Amino acid sequence: MPILSFNDVTIHLGGREILSPTRFEVEKGEFISIIGPSGCGKTTLLRAAAGFVTPSGGSVSRQGKVITGPSREVAFVFQDYGRALLPWRTVEGNISLALEAAGVPAGQRAARISKVLETVGLAAHAGKFPTQLSGGMQQRVQIARCLAQEPELLMMDEPFGALDAMTRESLQDELLRLVREQGLTVLFVTHDLEEAIYLGDRVIALRSNPTPQQPSLAAVIDVTIPHPRDQLSTKEHPDFLRLRRDLYHYLGHD
Amino acid sequence: MNARPRIQATGVVESLLVFLAIMALWWLASHQEWVSKVFLPTPEATLASLKEGLSDGALVGNSVDTINRMLLGWLLASLFGIALGAMIGISATARAWLQPTLEFIRPLPASAIMPLAISIFGLNASMVLFVVAFGSMWPVLLATVHGFATVQPRLREVADALQMSRTMFSWKIALPSAMPDILAGMRLSMTVSLIIAVVGEMIASQSGLGQAVLLAARSFRASELFAGVVLLGAIGFAANALLALAERKLLRWQRP
Amino acid sequence: MLATLLRWLRPFVFPAILIGAFELYTRRVAAYSDTLAPPSAAVRAFVDALFQGDILSATGFTLMSAGIGLALAFVAGAGLGIVLGLSPRAARMSFFSIEVFRPIPSVALIPLAMLVFGFGVSMEVSVVAFATFWPILILTQAAARQVEPILLEVSQALQLSYFQQVWKITLPSMLPRLFVALRQGVAIALVVAVTVEIVANPHGMGYAIMIAQQSMEPALMLAWLFWIGIVGYVVNELALLLQRCMAQRMGGRP
Repeated sequence: MPILSFNDVTIHLGGREILSPTRFEVEKGEFISIIGPSGCGKTTLLRAAAGFVTPSGGSVSRQGKVITGPSREVAFVFQDYGRALLPWRTVEGNISLALEAAGVPAGQRAARISKVLETVGLAAHAGKFPTQLSGGMQQRVQIARCLAQEPELLMMDEPFGALDAMTRESLQDELLRLVREQGLTVLFVTHDLEEAIYLGDRVIALRSNPTPQQPSLAAVIDVTIPHPRDQLSTKEHPDFLRLRRDLYHYLGHD
Repeated sequence: MNARPRIQATGVVESLLVFLAIMALWWLASHQEWVSKVFLPTPEATLASLKEGLSDGALVGNSVDTINRMLLGWLLASLFGIALGAMIGISATARAWLQPTLEFIRPLPASAIMPLAISIFGLNASMVLFVVAFGSMWPVLLATVHGFATVQPRLREVADALQMSRTMFSWKIALPSAMPDILAGMRLSMTVSLIIAVVGEMIASQSGLGQAVLLAARSFRASELFAGVVLLGAIGFAANALLALAERKLLRWQRP
Repeated sequence: MLATLLRWLRPFVFPAILIGAFELYTRRVAAYSDTLAPPSAAVRAFVDALFQGDILSATGFTLMSAGIGLALAFVAGAGLGIVLGLSPRAARMSFFSIEVFRPIPSVALIPLAMLVFGFGVSMEVSVVAFATFWPILILTQAAARQVEPILLEVSQALQLSYFQQVWKITLPSMLPRLFVALRQGVAIALVVAVTVEIVANPHGMGYAIMIAQQSMEPALMLAWLFWIGIVGYVVNELALLLQRCMAQRMGGRP
């Protein structure tokens, strides 16, 4: 059974149809990249998958059950990490928040927090406040907090969009490693085409202003590049270049 | 940067010198009677009144009375202000219905409540305490409402994603997020409570520095008047400084 | 259409309920009280006083004293504030003295003002001026000191003389914040003026409300309480409007 399925999901916002009926399925352990021009509804689609938004038509199901709201099985990483972290708590405290919300007894929290910190490589910064950390580190704290939830699904909304190129690349590789280790299923929204191909097992391209002839779901493409991926050789792989060429116009460049 | 400490020290010294110059001007003005001695006592006379009042206990008693009134009223005001402010601030519906009324009460002088309070309580200490508490509640309440209303919307979503209960959200996210506003409101509240305490003492003849200063004016005892004003200034300064210190400690995360 | 009408009425619902409840209470429980009166009686008392000219003369006195005191404090406070803001040395030198005199509660000076000026306008003006001087000074000083540093670099690049820089860059960029200081001053001036009248000065709205209470005229007292609230609200809103207009004209943030 697919871990996540979109059954003719339609979303209307402000009187407009943002997403025309969209149908696709996600298997467990897959990394799905979602791309599209501004306003195509990729963030809205992600939020519907996380349960923040109720579709105007159709439904999203997880493990066969229709989603009615957020759940601990689904973790969400926001782009604006500065606003998603608690500035008055240390790194440890921020991660602890996930455990407190889940009702984990105080005695068990410390061990789980340090495990998750090890995973993202922030063990040395446990006692620092978010404002003392760089953007990349703050985003890692947010990811760590999501991992502390021990979720099945990781939703990521342009998580590296606000970071500089170098930080972005190192976080991309860390994310790939992490996801393999934990066996997570990931939906990753980005406007960066290369990032989408580099990270994903499949790339979903969305269109904006959908019409019946040109629905929201423009293409679902398999990324045939093998793992493990690396910033230099993968980007010179012929399949990478071919996918990049094929998907380019889906970003609305014409 | 070895030059920095020296510059800072000269800054302090210069500042003190300017202050002493002002004191010297006062000394000159009072001794030369540029202003009548009835209105402007000499610095020495003021100091003497201060010493006398403190040693024979009169000014000490008055100060303690005023401080107690101010503190008790402020504590009550903070308690109710934060509780009510949290309830109103956290609910968008409550804010929509109640905020206009709150905005109307905001500019109302707290002392204008005094005649009504006198009608209800009479001219006594409870009346003053009521007005102090009521009057100084509004800065805290309004600040708390603002603090809870401006919690990052993103954090609300984070809490939803983590399936956090509403109570936990209020305690662990909304309250700490509102803390800077609440503490600033409490500091403003303290200034207000001092003022209303003094006003109340003047009107209702309650023992305290307010009454002492008023009596000194009525008996044309300028040095006692000035001594009382000095003490009130000192109380205002100390209260504000202590709260500012507490605020800095509690909000250490803002400047780690 | 109906929705906008309802939304316009909404701010008045809660006060209407309160006033209605109070009306019921005073009519039933405190029917012949000499301390409380129903709001309906207060309205009648207000109209009577209005036609007798008491409302206008008292309100005029309070507003005039507050206005004159504020004007004096504004000229002195803004003037000194600009000097201290432009000259870090002067700011350092004055720091101690300001911190000593600023915490003195203005009400503590009411007896002194009474002693020096007797009752009347001067006494009230002097206390209002003292109270409003300090916040205006602090705000103006901050505004003068916090001119956008990039603008100062621009002025250096354009080789503006010191006077030109102050006149063309510092002062105009301070203007919005000067109006913020004015607005705060307005609020404080009115509150202090009414307080002076309540404590000592036998003129103005504060005195009127005290007299109403002392003469056991609860209806009139309530009328004055409500009227003071309205005057305060209107004056503050006008000051806010002025501040916002100025901010828009100067292109700054309100």
